[in-house]
Amino acid sequence: MELSDRELVQKCQTGEMSAFEELVSRYHQKVYMVILGLLRNREDALEVAQETFFRAYRKINGFQGGSSFYTWIYRIAVNLAIDAQRRQKRNPLDFRESMDGLLESQDEVARDPFADVHDKELRQNLTNAINDLTPEHKAVIVLRTIEGLSYKDIGEILGCSEGTVMSRLHYARKKLQDKLSAFL
Amino acid sequence: MKDCENISESMGRWLDGELSPAESESIRAHVAQCADCGEAQRKLEKLQLALEGALMAESKSIEFEPFWRAVQLRIAEKRTWYEDALDWSRGLFTASRAAWAIPALIALLLAVASLESYFPGWRGGAGRNAFAAVDSIDAHGRNVALLREYDSKTTVIWLYEDQEGENETAEEPPPPGPAF
Repeated sequence: MELSDRELVQKCQTGEMSAFEELVSRYHQKVYMVILGLLRNREDALEVAQETFFRAYRKINGFQGGSSFYTWIYRIAVNLAIDAQRRQKRNPLDFRESMDGLLESQDEVARDPFADVHDKELRQNLTNAINDLTPEHKAVIVLRTIEGLSYKDIGEILGCSEGTVMSRLHYARKKLQDKLSAFL
Repeated sequence: MKDCENISESMGRWLDGELSPAESESIRAHVAQCADCGEAQRKLEKLQLALEGALMAESKSIEFEPFWRAVQLRIAEKRTWYEDALDWSRGLFTASRAAWAIPALIALLLAVASLESYFPGWRGGAGRNAFAAVDSIDAHGRNVALLREYDSKTTVIWLYEDQEGENETAEEPPPPGPAF
């Protein structure tokens, strides 16, 4: 029978490494995707995802179970990604290079929904528009779009109220719509 | 018109499924008969699709084994005390905490400064009525003493000749010679 996250956390707290391994196997992909959505660089995202689980392991004894494990792990991940994103902003040249690399590799790999020129342009503009958002606005967009989380869960992860999540989402979408008005 | 503004504000929450059934129904009914709001809905849905496309297209599944090995390595790695301190301080100085910490620090500094007017001499009197002497401030063997009285805000500058010092620098009398 599959153990719940809470049971696995309890086992981790008694020092069972295999329980932590199970938690990592359940969440590594989701955590990585959220971080990738924020950082838009695969190497950086992988690095931050590994650091997220390392931090979680070190703090697991302090986890009281007041929230679910996944909101807790996402909170660690998003905070680390926002820190990393602020560092990226300070080195825009490096970031630009990584973005270009990502887009090129997408062109190679993905025969994706963005097939024609119009969509390619839209994707490029959307990518730029997303990157112009503040880390906090980008975080709500990513958590809502990639994970489809509720406003309540997003608020728990970001440490803010549902009302704040709602207004950040509204503002971020408005900003994206304004920048992409020619494509929508 | 007012309705359209309200609908526009709630459109995102409606598409996200964050409204009550009654609110959702009211918006759905309005959008069905309002061309502008119908257009706004279409644009928002298109944006959402584009966002999903852009964010999901980047995703790539990562293999668990190498990922887990890297995490295990980090866990096994012994960190220096300053790396731990840095991690700890990162958690301490988040933007939300700084928002109240900075005004609190300013208030604390103001409180410390204002203590001076309520409790004169609270710092133990050190520095009050300080008497400082500077030896040989000029080349003529004179000394300067400063006497500061903080309560009356008076500073007395006192110039005096140091007899002892003068004697030290004065030409020594010739040693008593042998008596002839």
